[in-house]
Amino acid sequence: MVNPTPQPVQPLLVFANIAKNFGAVQALRGVDFELRPGEVHALLGENGAGKSTLIKVATGAHAPDSGHLVLGGRRLDALNPATARALGVACIYQQPALFPDLTVAENLALRLEPAGAWRRVDRRARRVRAAELLQRLGADLAPDAEIRDLSMPEQQLVEIAAAIGAGARIVIMDEPTASLTQREQERLFAIVRTLRAEGVGVIYISHRLEEIFALADRVTVLRDGASVGTHAVGDMDAAGLIRLMVGRELAGLPPPGGTVPGEIALELRGTGCAAAGVGSVTFAVRAGEILGLAGLVGAGRTELARVLFGLTPADEGEILREGRPVRLDSPQAAMAHGLAYVPEDRRRHGVVMELPVAQNITLAAHRRVFRHGWLSAPAENRVAAEFIARLGIKAAGPEAAVATLSGGNQQKVAVARWLATAPRVLILDEPTQGVDIAAKGELHRIIRELAQGGLAVILISSDLPEIIGLCDRIGVMRGGTLREILPGGTAAPVVMAAALGTNEKEGAA
Amino acid sequence: MRPPNQNHWKSHLFRYEVLLLLVLVVEWLVFWHFGTTVNRRGVTVGFGTVDRQFDILRHSCEIGLLALALTPVILTAGIDLAVGSLLGLCAVIFGQLWHDAGLPVWAAAAGALAAGGLGGALNAGLIARLQLPPLIVTLGTYSLFRGLAEALTRGAVTYTDFPAGFLFLGQERWLGLPVQAWVFAGVAAGIWILVHRTMTGRALRVIGFSPEGARYAGLPVTRQVALAYVLAGFIAGLAALIYTARLGQARADAGTGYELFAITAVVLGGTSIFGGRGSVTGTLLGVAVIAVLKNGLATLPAVIRLNAAEELSGLLTGGLLLGVLALGAAPKFLSAWRSRGQSRRQPALPPP
Ligand SMILES: Nc1ncnc2c1ncn2[C@@H]1O[C@H](COP(=O)(O)OP(=O)(O)OP(=O)(O)O)[C@@H](O)[C@H]1O
Ligand SMILES: [Mg+2]
Repeated sequence: MVNPTPQPVQPLLVFANIAKNFGAVQALRGVDFELRPGEVHALLGENGAGKSTLIKVATGAHAPDSGHLVLGGRRLDALNPATARALGVACIYQQPALFPDLTVAENLALRLEPAGAWRRVDRRARRVRAAELLQRLGADLAPDAEIRDLSMPEQQLVEIAAAIGAGARIVIMDEPTASLTQREQERLFAIVRTLRAEGVGVIYISHRLEEIFALADRVTVLRDGASVGTHAVGDMDAAGLIRLMVGRELAGLPPPGGTVPGEIALELRGTGCAAAGVGSVTFAVRAGEILGLAGLVGAGRTELARVLFGLTPADEGEILREGRPVRLDSPQAAMAHGLAYVPEDRRRHGVVMELPVAQNITLAAHRRVFRHGWLSAPAENRVAAEFIARLGIKAAGPEAAVATLSGGNQQKVAVARWLATAPRVLILDEPTQGVDIAAKGELHRIIRELAQGGLAVILISSDLPEIIGLCDRIGVMRGGTLREILPGGTAAPVVMAAALGTNEKEGAA
Repeated sequence: MRPPNQNHWKSHLFRYEVLLLLVLVVEWLVFWHFGTTVNRRGVTVGFGTVDRQFDILRHSCEIGLLALALTPVILTAGIDLAVGSLLGLCAVIFGQLWHDAGLPVWAAAAGALAAGGLGGALNAGLIARLQLPPLIVTLGTYSLFRGLAEALTRGAVTYTDFPAGFLFLGQERWLGLPVQAWVFAGVAAGIWILVHRTMTGRALRVIGFSPEGARYAGLPVTRQVALAYVLAGFIAGLAALIYTARLGQARADAGTGYELFAITAVVLGGTSIFGGRGSVTGTLLGVAVIAVLKNGLATLPAVIRLNAAEELSGLLTGGLLLGVLALGAAPKFLSAWRSRGQSRRQPALPPP
């Protein structure tokens, strides 16, 4: 292990040769890692490399099979969640674990106030305390807001506030930006820098190298459950990190363009749905075209996708499929018209956690595995094997429950489910969230290939480089409607300005 | 070749079914040993006779049918408390159609089945379409159906004197087995195929695990849930016919309390009340374990002397349910306990 700048400070946390198996799966096999106070330490590795598992060892969710850790100056064989918390470890998960029916202040109180059935509840003090914490983080959130009304990044802020309020010395963030837009990301980064300045050690997991270069001081790379080195971020470049992570160079994606779009596959004329908060959306996607949808969180992109997929059917305007007006008033109707939708919320909508990988993949394409409603096991295995291979899904086997897969591999299953239906119009909502660089490149190539094969693609993404690099045209949404359509390859600041509404040429679409 | 630890809950369920089979075998051997006697005339009586075994089969068919009806419902994370009451209502309707309306017996039977389907459709409409909670809806129809049955008979009329052709269904043998056992086997095969081999079965499971996930996967959630309840009602109608044929009479209190035995059998069979997990094989084993217990107890000399078969069977069924469920959960509990032991080896901590 390379230690470029040895310092006399005592590390906050040390992992020494940690190993962890799940049945036959070796998730971790000898990880060494060290976190110092006041540093942002990135953890990098492909999907299934063992990053989340390592984190769960630090939070006490998993006991390692061998190796030990040093925390708070103490050598420990294992932790339990209460001890980990007591020693100042806090984790901000991909999916915030808050009570949706309670307010921000109440959720914070649940984390911070001592438990006890007969304790007096001082609502005012709670609110004041919550407001103070949120202010310290520079978050403009009302303590009285109910969690269910908050966006994902806002919920993350609440989690971070809870961690800080509890006096955490080690804050772990497992892919916190997977579904954040650039601006929210900046806000999060500012908060991380504040934490670092206060001497907190931050473990930061992300698949986006730009973030690591922008934020981290050191980086440890995991490959197949083992640590392959720790480096100062300043000493590394992207290619070097990728080589460490994947073991080879990656080819870039050619810029968009080059394909000739075909007939109009899907056309919206003033489409909207009052209940979903989208209105008067007009655009057309052609077969063979990739249309990006950029915008801030809350701009109405996911809501529009839900309207198109019949989850909240349109009550305004017209939708035309290949020139003919259609009613998409249920997901079944949308599917019958050749639409497919890979949803944003993977855990709740994208996959069924308890179901095996194979059944998750074939769930929407049941016509391919159920002949006249009758299960054909060979057909199911064939379809599942095809997509497991095509997307490189890493799982113990097709019968493994999706819950046992790493986050990125779960996402690939969610995408595979809809590719398996051989759709004509594919709506992708944050399709590469949590997917590693190599797999992301592969997924981009597949999307491009499908489009070249005559598929119309609508790509919703908060990852601006992804939208710019992949899409033939970029629609920009703001306030529940489509504001303008920019050509592919438009520079990021221009797209950003359009999303924020700070440029003047309105309604160019 | 399957690597271990794949698809956790399925292998767990399989282990659980083996456990249940073991319980059944032990139970059966115990009753065979202690419940079989030779009377003064030198005739073998009690548990170890063919007649008694057929009796068990006969008695378990109606509750068994209800348990089969409930399995798809519970897989969707639903419940149907009304199947027992619906059985009573269908029995009464059958009696009236035949006796009062003078319909031929086959037409009356068809009417009873249709009534069952309609009763199920009422549940289905309220639960699947209006999205009301199954527990409340079927608690309501539980009282409603029984009340209707009592109202139709003014609480007093008992229909009897059914033709022999109909009683054949409940009292005779065909190809060596009680006739209703064949019906039961047919329904069991049908439900097994439905649950384990068709799209509907998979949809029911997915709905049980995650209704939202099912909707986003484009599954017809409303239709599939409705189907489960309509099917349950229809099977309750079938059970009503078999019940009436076995006893030779149709009364408003037919099948009282059967829903609880049926739910017990399903849950004992390893189907999760939270939906998604479970199997028809498990339900069948659950039914068998309960039926053998109930009937076997009545053959034990000690129990006969005390005249306490009913009470004991209730007691033991409850104990068995809790015991087997606890045993089934033991592996998880043990591993949690072990890892707790591990972390307890840590040095004591100062207060935070
Ligand atoms: N509970 C579990 N049961 C079985 N296998 C598991 C379990 N949790 C994790 N695994 C396996 O351990 C390996 C590491 O998973 P982990 O979630 O740590 O990966 P990761 O590095 O976080 O990946 P990603 O970038 O996709 O989030 C994977 O092969 C995964 O399938
Ligand atoms: Mg992970």
